[in-house]
Amino acid sequence: MSFHTGRYFLLALGVILTFRARELSGQAHIISLAATAPSVLSVTVTSGAVQTIANVTDNAVNNFPIPVGIQTSWDLNPGQTSTVSLIAYFSVPAQALVGPTQIPSSRVLGRMTTGIPTTFTALTQNAVAGIGTAGGSLQLFAVNILGANKTDTRNDNLDLQLNLVGFPTLPAGAYVGVLNIRAVTQ
Amino acid sequence: MHALSRQALTGVAALLVFGASSARAQAGLTSNLATVALTATKAATLTVSTDVATATLASITDNSTANNFSQVNLTTAWNLTAGSSVRLIGYFSTPAQALANGSNFIPSSKVQGRVGATAYAAFTSGAVGGVGVAGGSLQLFSQAVAAGSFLGTRNDVLDLRLDLTGTTTVAGDYTGLLNIQAVVQ
Repeated sequence: MSFHTGRYFLLALGVILTFRARELSGQAHIISLAATAPSVLSVTVTSGAVQTIANVTDNAVNNFPIPVGIQTSWDLNPGQTSTVSLIAYFSVPAQALVGPTQIPSSRVLGRMTTGIPTTFTALTQNAVAGIGTAGGSLQLFAVNILGANKTDTRNDNLDLQLNLVGFPTLPAGAYVGVLNIRAVTQ
Repeated sequence: MHALSRQALTGVAALLVFGASSARAQAGLTSNLATVALTATKAATLTVSTDVATATLASITDNSTANNFSQVNLTTAWNLTAGSSVRLIGYFSTPAQALANGSNFIPSSKVQGRVGATAYAAFTSGAVGGVGVAGGSLQLFSQAVAAGSFLGTRNDVLDLRLDLTGTTTVAGDYTGLLNIQAVVQ
């Protein structure tokens, strides 16, 4: 095969391969592609994560010093979510604060003027959608999810009180507890 | 063409399955757990109160112990985090002049006190736990306390009298101030 003859042969082979390639593309499998951005739901305490009453007064309402700043963010599919709820709760309602004795959650009151408990309300509610504890919870807000707010962030203040009116005299000492805050979709 | 339709149906089915699983994930989606640490401190307290501000003796009898003041009821309350005893001390700031009538004085050694059925004793002891005056004090009680009794209260009757045995007083009104204070040790 001369040089020219060989060149023509390669050219012809290339054309054949090109046609064959087109034929192969016509037989490609259908692959359905689906990419779903994961839903996002987060809660952040932006301020007041540590609350201290330096000198508790018996038989009186004791205010925790500053509000708890709470930021709740979500990115959801409104077709699959109807509401976002924020819940505060104590893990063991009978022992909301523990020291020389125990202070139950019924003596801890919360208020969120931008939410549901606009007046001080005891943490004695039940869980919401599995979040919280029976008799130790308080639903802080519930917001409907629509197209306009499927992605949103809200900031709220939670005010806390310790109501010792009618409660037995507290033995002296430090009483500590952890208030849990979590959001849930429904 | 038949194979193509089958593949397309497979893809649609996969999408439906994927979508269903996504819906399940959003209903009941929970956030992270945020927490707030709460601390409330009840301060230790120790208080003494009396039912009257004044104890009186209408007429002094010289050379006698029959000089009883009117009764004083004491209430002592404590709410503690530590300590082994609560002690109540009565004392005069200036022992040599417990009661005064101008320049005539009755010293604290002539004033006696007792709580309950105990014997009378003069106010001549030293301070207790920094409370009191040397030579002008009297410990009225010592109450043991422990973890189970850090919160408590007790009521006592304080009897006071003048022991003027061997003493003749100048006529007149004698007044003085008895201090009563509790201390934890």
